[in-house]
Amino acid sequence: MDGLELCFASAGELSRLIQNREVSPVEVIDAHLDRIEATEGVLNSFITLLPDEARAAARRAEGEIQGGNYRGPLHGIPVGLKDLFNTAGVRTTSGTRIFDDFIPAEDCTVAAKFRQAGAILLGKLNMHPFAYGPTGENADYGHMHNPWNPDLVTGGSSGGSGSAAAAGQCTITMGSDTGGSVRIPASLCGIVGFKPTYGLVSRHGLTALSWSLDHPGPMVRTVEDAALVLNTIAGKDPKDVATVDRPTGDYTAEFTGDLRGVRVGVPQEYFEGPIDPEVGRAVRVAIDLLEELGAVVVDVSLPMFKYAQVISGTILMAEAAQYHRELIAREGDKIYPPVRLRLEGGLFVGAADYLKAQQARSLFDLEARRLLEEVDLLAGPTEPVTAPRILAPQVQAGEETVGTTAALTHFTRPYNITGFPAVSAPCGFSRDGMPIGLQLAGRPYEDGMVLRAARAYEQATEWHRRRPPI
Amino acid sequence: MPEREPLSREAFLFLAQQVGLDPGDPHMEELFPYARSVVAGLAELDEIGVEGYEPDLAFRPAPEV
Repeated sequence: MDGLELCFASAGELSRLIQNREVSPVEVIDAHLDRIEATEGVLNSFITLLPDEARAAARRAEGEIQGGNYRGPLHGIPVGLKDLFNTAGVRTTSGTRIFDDFIPAEDCTVAAKFRQAGAILLGKLNMHPFAYGPTGENADYGHMHNPWNPDLVTGGSSGGSGSAAAAGQCTITMGSDTGGSVRIPASLCGIVGFKPTYGLVSRHGLTALSWSLDHPGPMVRTVEDAALVLNTIAGKDPKDVATVDRPTGDYTAEFTGDLRGVRVGVPQEYFEGPIDPEVGRAVRVAIDLLEELGAVVVDVSLPMFKYAQVISGTILMAEAAQYHRELIAREGDKIYPPVRLRLEGGLFVGAADYLKAQQARSLFDLEARRLLEEVDLLAGPTEPVTAPRILAPQVQAGEETVGTTAALTHFTRPYNITGFPAVSAPCGFSRDGMPIGLQLAGRPYEDGMVLRAARAYEQATEWHRRRPPI
Repeated sequence: MPEREPLSREAFLFLAQQVGLDPGDPHMEELFPYARSVVAGLAELDEIGVEGYEPDLAFRPAPEV
């Protein structure tokens, strides 16, 4: 396997090669560092790159494995973390120069679990400042660029995670998802982005955007890799009060290859609003394939869907403003202006409106849960459009012109409100070669069912094998 | 629910001071229309009937369906 093949191999494939000593972690890391050198000038995926540390870690991993101490499927696998995951001794900027010199003393729980699993940190990934935006803009460290067309956005806020995984710079990346920030760049960059059930993965040591909406999640090139990551990072964490104490198990064990008897609901609201017809068609074809794989597909309705933006937006604005309140007062003029406005705007959300939004969230959640008594999964597009141009304030979605932020978060916000597990998986390409994503969501803690369906779909298609032209 | 009044400049500057911003900062000229649009957007919440529903609790792990 040559260097480029190593860069586009999945974690599952690499782990088998590493375990059998057919490939050394040193070769894997060297190949990825070469790939980063060849592509980073265009993509700008990284804020901090750790070549020396990664090479040293690879040599240690090689020695451990040769000594018979293979730790498991992530041992020797290259990982990149969105730059709001605290990493001991490695600066963590949250995407802003204000924190250019912030070096955490300890790992966040996710980073610690990767470290224990023997994964190798290649660097910290670029992001929309403070994770507050869905496009992947960053004036401080440079905008992120889509590997399929560098004039277009990666999506955000985990934009560097999206481009790094899609372009073969990292085997595994991690993002965080408050209104879609894992699934949006996954859809626009043509990779798998998985938002686990709220409470399944610890948020400890991540810069918060909205405590009650934030979900850390993997961004990878195959569904199997998403499951392998979840196997490593899921679980109760005494440092995060939101995490739940329940068995997590092996999520790959649920991969049965078919969907016989699985009931898939298609919320009609997902196709009634502004949507690029090309995207709509691709997602419909994908849903038809789920049916061919044995699923029972039925139309369903989620009337509360129309309030997803105001419910999620109100909660997010208020929580983000409070989290960053001191920073806004102290160094507001150093914050990327559009993000500064969003943060400051949240200061004008009153307590009564915040609580009304949380009441409405309860209602939204109840309606969505009732739907999941009738069906096992909900399916629809992740995005109504393919990747827009960088800094475009509006996008064309079918016959309608829509604000970019509203468009990109339109289909993803509902599952931040409910905390349901949700995945975006590649399901096609537009005529101009840009990826399209299928979104599947399921019941809380049935993350395995969501991954099982996405895996069955992936195995029946070739979309995930395409590589960007860069 | 009575219709909401648009956020006036005077109310905006008062609230800005209350939340720790400097009302004399020239940036307020940019923030005012944005804050006004935020407050106007909150009116959509008035359409949702939530009687009998308690606020969802932050940090509560999701219960099973």
